[in-house]
Amino acid sequence: MHIRVESLTHIYAQGTPAERVALRGITLEIGPGERVGISGPTGSGKSTLVQHIAGLLTPTSGQVLLDGVPAHARTPEARARRHQVGLAFQFPEAQMFELTVSREVAFGPRHLGLNADEIAGRVRWALEMVGLDPESFAERVPFALSGGEMRRVALAGILALKPRVLILDEPTAGLDPRGRADILARLRAWQAETGATLILVSHHLDEMAGMVDRVVLLANGQVVADGPTRSVLGDGYRLRAAGLSPPPGVALLEALRAAGWPVRTDVLDIEDVVSEIARWFFNHKDTKTRSIINRSF
Amino acid sequence: MSIPFIQTRALEHVYTAEDGRSIPALRGIDLTVHRGEFVALIGPNGSGKSTLARHFNALLLPTAGEVWVDGMLTSDPRHVQAVRQRVGMVFQNPDNQLVAGTVEEDVAFGPENLGIPPTEIRRRVDEALEVVGMTDYRRHPPHMLSGGQKQRVVIAGALATRPDCIVFDEPTSMLDAEGRRQVLQTVRRLNAELGLTVILITQSMDEAALAQRVLVMDGGRVVLDGPPEAVLEAEELDGLGLGRPYAAEVARRLRAQGVPLPRGLLTVEALAAALQNI
Ligand SMILES: Nc1ncnc2c1ncn2[C@@H]1O[C@H](COP(=O)(O)OP(=O)(O)OP(=O)(O)O)[C@@H](O)[C@H]1O
Ligand SMILES: Nc1ncnc2c1ncn2[C@@H]1O[C@H](COP(=O)(O)OP(=O)(O)OP(=O)(O)O)[C@@H](O)[C@H]1O
Ligand SMILES: [Mg+2]
Ligand SMILES: [Mg+2]
Repeated sequence: MHIRVESLTHIYAQGTPAERVALRGITLEIGPGERVGISGPTGSGKSTLVQHIAGLLTPTSGQVLLDGVPAHARTPEARARRHQVGLAFQFPEAQMFELTVSREVAFGPRHLGLNADEIAGRVRWALEMVGLDPESFAERVPFALSGGEMRRVALAGILALKPRVLILDEPTAGLDPRGRADILARLRAWQAETGATLILVSHHLDEMAGMVDRVVLLANGQVVADGPTRSVLGDGYRLRAAGLSPPPGVALLEALRAAGWPVRTDVLDIEDVVSEIARWFFNHKDTKTRSIINRSF
Repeated sequence: MSIPFIQTRALEHVYTAEDGRSIPALRGIDLTVHRGEFVALIGPNGSGKSTLARHFNALLLPTAGEVWVDGMLTSDPRHVQAVRQRVGMVFQNPDNQLVAGTVEEDVAFGPENLGIPPTEIRRRVDEALEVVGMTDYRRHPPHMLSGGQKQRVVIAGALATRPDCIVFDEPTSMLDAEGRRQVLQTVRRLNAELGLTVILITQSMDEAALAQRVLVMDGGRVVLDGPPEAVLEAEELDGLGLGRPYAAEVARRLRAQGVPLPRGLLTVEALAAALQNI
């Protein structure tokens, strides 16, 4: 699906004292199968933007087009397109209302008109994707779960839709480190296999770095950067200007560079950060050793 | 000198699910938290962290064993009010915890519920807002604040009831890096300057590294307990899938390549400094 955001403005509670401009004329295009990260400080408009892409909000001005059709329109074409967009909300607790985990996860697929076997298959698949053993969790009550378990259920509910456009708003908040890594790896594999569009909203820039090819930065309701992952997330200066802290690897390399090590700083993967430091460290040590040897002759 | 503040003895908690199945969440916990300690509580999802924390202020009562808070047994109904006053809670999502129309009304909410006289409430609200650095925002509607600011208001609300201890259950997981920094700095300051006992539940090993002591839970038990330098680089953490602080992981990989770095480098600053000094 082709997503086009055109001069989109959103004002909450317009005309009241609590009026709040959340988006200020955003224009953005996301092609089919793209993997895009959206970041920005709290309140910059990320959740508002993705809710527009899912057709859940009505623009104050401007529009979002899904394959050329306004996302929020009340037409069958628009509804059909919205059905292909799955948005996992930032606060999933607010969304859950079924009495068992399996019913909660089955809720979406049931509304897609699938038969019982297909639904059961989807539920099992989705629970496995999020690392919940169907045997022990299917019949549990969604509200009576730990925080991380609840978030996994909410994610499973969206995955079970197998959407063409998958939007995840802070999907890993509350997940333990292994769960986070495993779920993201499975999502990556699923995305590669299906060619779905992936839109990932996150404050965790290092986590985002391994998942997307392109990053959009929002600040104060506007797009302040939009480009390849490495050029956006590897640029500590620009991130700070947008009110964000750079990923830890970038911060580490910047500190070394400030101390005179001529390392590159736009390095995101931890393995590459290690190589960059090791490479320079051993070169440097060689010159040190050499100068000691030279002196001793 | 260390004075025990929270003690659990053979604490067990078993939830009963809708279908009657038992879900053992705590399986025999013997633990002492001392007055003024800053303890991080980490562990996989479902390992029992939030359940344990809820026992510290009598939101839950043991299904077996005992919990003592400041010398009071939490399962004694006469003590519930006093226990809740001693131990405050701050949860992950500030939006669910902010109830009033202005910041100061919100902070006053807790003490009002305790039936404290208005002049005293006034003083406590002023003080609590001062401590978290939100005095200038006292008449703001809470929903207009940033996530980090909202969370600081929630902390002020917890402080206004004058607890000896605050349990923070993943207070930063919805915040951006700047919001996280603000909240953690506030937490550290409350501990260092006011001697507040702090229990911080987190999934971030980088945050756990800021504590004086780290407790690791798995399957309803405490499986590791010690200073961050010892616990956060323990081999056992790999088995639990908890990983290491970012800097410790980079240092470990550099050591494997022959860079002579010591263990115990838990922050990016410490690692950068160590690299420069080799
Ligand atoms: N329902 C609402 N009513 C009024 N204002 C709102 C509402 N939802 C969001 N806002 C305001 O709109 C702005 C953008 O909010 P949004 O939730 O899109 O930000 P965000 O980038 O997702 O932030 P976070 O990182 O904290 O999730 C903020 O100033 C916020 O306070
Ligand atoms: N209200 C409840 N009713 C039944 N079982 C529950 C309830 N709350 C939690 N549990 C179960 O108790 C166990 C411990 O849950 P707890 O919330 O203490 O874990 P946690 O360590 O805080 O996890 P997380 O990191 O996901 O927040 C889990 O198996 C969970 O499913
Ligand atoms: Mg948001
Ligand atoms: Mg929990």
